[in-house]
Amino acid sequence: MSAMNPMNHFPRLDRWRALTRMAAFSVGLLATLAASAAGAAGDAAALLQEKCGACHLEEKGWQRITNIRKTPEGWDMTLVRMGIWHKVELSRAERKTLVKYLADHQGLAPEESQPHRALIERQPNSVDVSPSEELTQMCGRCHSVGRVALQRRDADEWRKLIHTHVGQFPSIEYSSLGRDRNWFELAQGDLSRRLGELYPLRADAWRKWQAARHAAPTGTWRVAGHRPGWGRYAGYMEVAALGGDRYDVRYELNFDAGNTLTGRGESVVYAGYEWRGAAQLGNLDTLSVFAMSPDGKRMAGRWFLRKADEIGARFEAIRVEAAPAGTILSLSPSLLKAGETTEIRVAGVRLGDRFDFGPGIEVDKMTRISEHEVRLVVSVAGDASVGWRTLGKPDVAARVAVYRQIDRVRVEPEFGYARLGGGTVAPVTAQFEAIAWLDGPDGKPDTDDDVRLGPMDAQWSVDNHDERARADEDARFAGVMEPHGQFIPAPAGPNPARNDLSNTGDLSVVAKVVDGARTVTGTGRLVVAAQRWNTPPLR
Amino acid sequence: MKRLLPLNEKARSLAAPAASQPSGEAALMSNVVGCTTTFDPGWELDAFGGMANLCQPIEADLYGCTDTCWWPAQLADLVNTSPEWSDGKNSAIRDWRELQILFPED
Repeated sequence: MSAMNPMNHFPRLDRWRALTRMAAFSVGLLATLAASAAGAAGDAAALLQEKCGACHLEEKGWQRITNIRKTPEGWDMTLVRMGIWHKVELSRAERKTLVKYLADHQGLAPEESQPHRALIERQPNSVDVSPSEELTQMCGRCHSVGRVALQRRDADEWRKLIHTHVGQFPSIEYSSLGRDRNWFELAQGDLSRRLGELYPLRADAWRKWQAARHAAPTGTWRVAGHRPGWGRYAGYMEVAALGGDRYDVRYELNFDAGNTLTGRGESVVYAGYEWRGAAQLGNLDTLSVFAMSPDGKRMAGRWFLRKADEIGARFEAIRVEAAPAGTILSLSPSLLKAGETTEIRVAGVRLGDRFDFGPGIEVDKMTRISEHEVRLVVSVAGDASVGWRTLGKPDVAARVAVYRQIDRVRVEPEFGYARLGGGTVAPVTAQFEAIAWLDGPDGKPDTDDDVRLGPMDAQWSVDNHDERARADEDARFAGVMEPHGQFIPAPAGPNPARNDLSNTGDLSVVAKVVDGARTVTGTGRLVVAAQRWNTPPLR
Repeated sequence: MKRLLPLNEKARSLAAPAASQPSGEAALMSNVVGCTTTFDPGWELDAFGGMANLCQPIEADLYGCTDTCWWPAQLADLVNTSPEWSDGKNSAIRDWRELQILFPED
């Protein structure tokens, strides 16, 4: 194995890489793949005609369909809805073929989907992004405004969607925030015009993106991320083309805690940048939602459990071949206590031998793990100045924070949901983290100069949030807080031990962080809510 | 309201709010994705930001929500979308475990 091979420390991926290289040179295979890619587009057009064309008239494209742009999830939800409402029968393969075709030809440009990545990534407890209180009230009271903002239509087409809503969901006019106004008139008038301006069908961003050359994700990626409750990881992703924008993917993720997840999966890239994958990582059945940067050099997103999408990890990747030598992707741990010695794991691409953390931090020892990874033992002087230190090129990930003592602990999410599960509905757990903060130079909390240091180990507990919760003993019935900050809700349904109340609860979440001789406490809130039976990918 | 004209002062006073702009009925707009802010009485939280005014247990009143399409984003809508969802499960408090999730897996 060559010393220049970026994977030379990574034998399992290396063997697979060699095999895929051999396969790629097979003329027969390439011919098959090319034929299947061309066939897929042809199949999709025929399917569209057969399955959709029975109702949607063909006029400058397909009536209604051609006048809308959406994410892959948005199109998938449309197809499912057509099945439920109009009994359109699609096999799983046909559904995937149509989603691919529609998201490619009538998708969103990277900058159009960017404000709502958390929604697409199914990030739990994310706060909806809304351009106005009007949209929050008119649309965001039932589902996220993001679900609206990830679609593109002209005003007339938005108006048709309003009609569909009122026809299909008549309660929209008489439930709260519908009955206090002429909802229908507002919605089909000003609101439709506004939506057409905010989220127009025809946009330069999409035109330019469609005309641009899109990079393929094939190759070796250096990856890093953070799984709440587990901690940081760094590793590799190896991507090989299967044709038709499908990719075979290998992962190796090495967590700081010492465990390693390896696995293989398959991914599809929609609209030139929307990566959707499925992979078995160790014993975890996972899905991934990433976005590739327009230049094809970076990828970012979230992977999560297929059956429990609230459990997952942030993911960031840089393409090994494209990254400049010395690029640092991850420093872990990133919190350095003044007066102490810490071993830091540096993950990046073609790392050098010199690491300068600035005054007050000495590198005592460097151990090279591979071309792309080193371990540093660093000593921080007792009087080192506190705050962030950036290494090498300015990069958010490539920094460490020095602290003498933490000023505060905040529980994140500050306001979290869990949901009861039972019957056919899976429970939704809630993962909390104890985030250490410094008050900054002004010494005052909650000001602009505060420094968010990052997650620290904590002792976790829950308590009743208020008098009502205390009277109903919510903390006793609603579920269990695990030592790593994950709340496991109790089963759904009437509980005879609770006078047939269900196990919902309103709880305070308490994190106690030991910092030297002090214990610093942070508090958040957890609502253990009733189950929901409707769980589309965009909620 | 276009075809119903108020005839007296009381009727005019009732018609006026409907014609005006939003009145700010909701006390709390908690915009966590996946949670409804239709607080009458609310699914995750009530209008006061607590849970005291929610139906308890929800299974006792589940069909009171689905029969009227009350939370179509969270639950089945038995009016138009999923009229057969509860067929054969006549008592929600007894049969809730058999009710199927609504969005099929990919």
